Amino acid sequence: MGMFFSRFFTSLFGDREARILVLGLDNAGKTTILYRLQAGEVVETVPTIGFNVETVQYNNIKFQVWDLGGQTSIRPYWRCYFPNTQAVIYVVDSTDTERMATAKDELHAILEEEELKDTVVLIYANKQDLPEALESAAVSESLNLHKIKNREWAIFKTSAVKGEGLFEGLNWLSDTLKSKGR
Amino acid sequence: MSGHDSKYFTTTKKGEIHELKEELNSQYKDKKKDAVKKVIAAMTVGKDVSMLFTDVVNCMQTENLELKKLVYLYLINYAKSQPDLAILAVNTFVKDSQDPNPLIRALAVRTMGCIRVDKITEYLCDPLQRCLKDDDPYVRKTAAICVAKLHDINAELVEDRGFLEILKDLISDSNPMVVANAVAALAEIQEGTTKIIFEITNHTLFKLLAALNECTEWGQVFILDALSRYKAKDVRDAENIVERVTPRLQHANCAVVLSAVKVILQQMELITSTDVVRNLCKKMAPPLVTLISAEPEIQYVALRNINLIVFFCKYNDPIYVKMEKLEIMIKLASDRNIDQVLLEFKEYATEVDVDFVRKAVRAIGRCAIKLERAAERCISVLLELIKLKVNYVVQEAIVVIKDIFRRYPNTYESIIATLCENLDNLDEPEAKASMIWIIGEYAERIDNADELLEGFLETFPEETAQVQLQLLTATVKLFLKKPTEGPQQMIQVVLNNATQETDNPDLRDRAYIYWRLLSTDPEAAKDVVLAEKPTINDDSNMLEPSLLDELLSNIATLASVYHKPPDSFVSRVRATVQRDDDEEYAAESLDPESSSAPVSEITTSVAAPGGVPGQPAAVPDILGDLMGLDGSADQQPMTRSLPVLLSASAGQGLQISGKLVRRNGQVVYSLMFENSSQIPLDGFMIQFNKNTFGLAAAAPLQVPPLVPGRSESVVLPMVMYQNVAPGPPNSLLQVAVKNNQQPVWYFNDKISIEALFGEDGKMERQHFLETWKTIPDSHEFIKELPSVCVNSVESAIQKLQATNLFFIARRSQKESRQELLYLSAKVPPNIVFLVELATVVGTAGVKCAVKTVSPEMAPLLFDALEALLST
Repeated sequence: MGMFFSRFFTSLFGDREARILVLGLDNAGKTTILYRLQAGEVVETVPTIGFNVETVQYNNIKFQVWDLGGQTSIRPYWRCYFPNTQAVIYVVDSTDTERMATAKDELHAILEEEELKDTVVLIYANKQDLPEALESAAVSESLNLHKIKNREWAIFKTSAVKGEGLFEGLNWLSDTLKSKGR
Repeated sequence: MSGHDSKYFTTTKKGEIHELKEELNSQYKDKKKDAVKKVIAAMTVGKDVSMLFTDVVNCMQTENLELKKLVYLYLINYAKSQPDLAILAVNTFVKDSQDPNPLIRALAVRTMGCIRVDKITEYLCDPLQRCLKDDDPYVRKTAAICVAKLHDINAELVEDRGFLEILKDLISDSNPMVVANAVAALAEIQEGTTKIIFEITNHTLFKLLAALNECTEWGQVFILDALSRYKAKDVRDAENIVERVTPRLQHANCAVVLSAVKVILQQMELITSTDVVRNLCKKMAPPLVTLISAEPEIQYVALRNINLIVFFCKYNDPIYVKMEKLEIMIKLASDRNIDQVLLEFKEYATEVDVDFVRKAVRAIGRCAIKLERAAERCISVLLELIKLKVNYVVQEAIVVIKDIFRRYPNTYESIIATLCENLDNLDEPEAKASMIWIIGEYAERIDNADELLEGFLETFPEETAQVQLQLLTATVKLFLKKPTEGPQQMIQVVLNNATQETDNPDLRDRAYIYWRLLSTDPEAAKDVVLAEKPTINDDSNMLEPSLLDELLSNIATLASVYHKPPDSFVSRVRATVQRDDDEEYAAESLDPESSSAPVSEITTSVAAPGGVPGQPAAVPDILGDLMGLDGSADQQPMTRSLPVLLSASAGQGLQISGKLVRRNGQVVYSLMFENSSQIPLDGFMIQFNKNTFGLAAAAPLQVPPLVPGRSESVVLPMVMYQNVAPGPPNSLLQVAVKNNQQPVWYFNDKISIEALFGEDGKMERQHFLETWKTIPDSHEFIKELPSVCVNSVESAIQKLQATNLFFIARRSQKESRQELLYLSAKVPPNIVFLVELATVVGTAGVKCAVKTVSPEMAPLLFDALEALLST
């Protein structure tokens, strides 16, 4: 049975890796999420001036995950990474109500991009371990997610430090990619 | 046909780069690596692959060390051309500088140092700081060099982050390589600045000496070079250093040996005991001699160095080595060893290499000139050589003997007869000229002098100028010494020839002078022509002491090989700093005469890089002439010091800059004319429109004709109240300049009122007070100068006094920390200004209050004050 499935998926994706971008404002928790997914542990991070790239194997899919720095100065260079991308994980700091509007603008700007028009979008409402964190519905509301059309998307509440919600999101992502591949 | 042709459009041009891009983004590691290799290959052959920047940088985070190194190589090359995108690499650097593998850490920190992009240096400080304190010495030593590189990009950052202190701590590092690199980095940083950053203390000295024995040869060179800059406290200190450094003389690396020699020489200055010094010299000699037996290039360097510090040639030495050896032998020649040296020279003079033989003969001559007691022996050697009848030897010997005659007049005339035997063989101008000089000088002792000269005269018109001049003089001498018929005829012929049939102005002029002298006062002619000549000296020890000192401190560098100070052929940061100073100075001095001094300095420093040995510094000038740019280099500071009034583009190539200044109690218009047009310009005239102060030229403008590329500065004296413009005062000065070739040029200048302040503007305190009171308050004007900052009251006063704004009194207000200054000035005939300045020293903002009987002049004064105080 296992053999059957693995051969089945190989035929779907070849041995290709799915290229995934992790985007979001600075201090949203992108790098922490990346290493939580990759190594399963919480690493100490400094602001990412540039990028990190790691390979994450999950659900028989190899994800090549690009974590790009969220600083204002680096955001313009996100576009260098858009081509050939299958999915975007957009990380939002659920406690940062002040910059929720900025997060919304950046997200919708990304969704406008021609090169990303076929991508699947997974939103992580991160930092749910903090008491002042907004519920996922509230985050969804602030980000105007209902306006997203012609694209599969989902929002998950996560806590990178506690490791909650991340793999649920990844589950959804792998399922969606598989069904798209079919 | 149509369907098939489309393929030509799909495969070309877009091809390579596009393909590479695709491969770089491949998920297969091997394909990726190959792609990066292709990119690097394209880069090395000079193709521009900078558009692949992000794609290459994206390959940076890899486990594969080879791939990482390739990407780093790419980064070093292209980060500069993609400064914005370079930021994408920062995070990888940060990560790599924490990699468990010390090789990767060092690689990251080294590459970081090589990326000279201002925007990202700040991000790289943290990793660098970490690496400076790394556990692994390899990382630390790499980081040390990186500090020097970073300092070059952003010195302030390095100082702020305390990297210099960390570097200094690294001198005490347990690993000698780290010590050596820290020293090298500090020395490098020190060279770029005037601040004292790196000073060897007692403690560090000990550390350096300890590390010296353990580190690699190049590390030793760095440490030795640093040591040579150390001033020993006392004799014991110096002896200690020398003792520790001496073993380095035995090192196999010639750079180490030379640096060690440098250190020892430096410290020897302090050592008083002659025994020790002699001992050291003895110790230094063998290693230098050993170097001579190495490859020719190193030999040459060593020999040039020996020449500085103060043995024999092999027949197969290259010519430059031989020459240098000769120089050294001349220097070493003394009364005691002259016999041996002469024997050697004689030997050389019979060799086959013409140049070398000549040089050897010259060397004999120089020995004769240098050592009086040896002169006779030298002469006899020369005579022997002449008897060999080898043409070029004879000629060279005659040239040399001429010099000896000049050095020791009336001593060795006995040999003239021998010389005369060889007259017919002379074909080189210099030898001929020398021989003729000898004949002329000793005409009275040579019985057949007239015959000999006559022989030469036959070919007079064909000779070179040098020979012609000598012939002329010799004939005159002959005539004065033997005023008989034969010589008289000869002199007629020569003078005729020289005055009428030659194009050489030197020759013609000299002939005229003789002619006139001879025809008016033969006695005077005798006095002039046969006057005692100063004896000549050997110039072989020509190096100036100060230059020698500098060269000694630069042993083991190219400077000691060139025998020139390093500044003259290396243009580095220090040189540019100096040049900046010069320019500032030029900017300060307003009158063109005094600013011509720095100008000439600048020209030399500009020309000097061309002045490699044997290369006359004139080369750039010739180039400048050819390109019609003559003097363009030295005009810059001039034009900078005077504001441009008429730009070259507006004036069809004529640029005029100028400023009203005061000199020696007179208002003058300091002007500078530059002709960058294609035609010569002359007949310059100037005219001033009516103006508030009635300024007009007091004399006609005296500008000499300007050939293209020339510039000329003139000072035009001015008078006041000649053509006063009615209406409210203003500072406008309208000028018209014309010349014979161009239309009239009109331009506007601003009258700087400070040039008009008279020397008689000083007031007594009492008088000032009274005047202040008598002028009604309605005539008081106040203006804030918010951007002006006075840092020192004294220097401000000095500055103002220099322009005849006289200081009357000063008051300090305690509570507001304000300084109040009272000044007076007077514009002829009788416009008095009373000035009060209020400011807090060190903070921007000056409040000026002016009382004057001519209220309309106040704005002009404010302008002047602002200009004066902000310089």
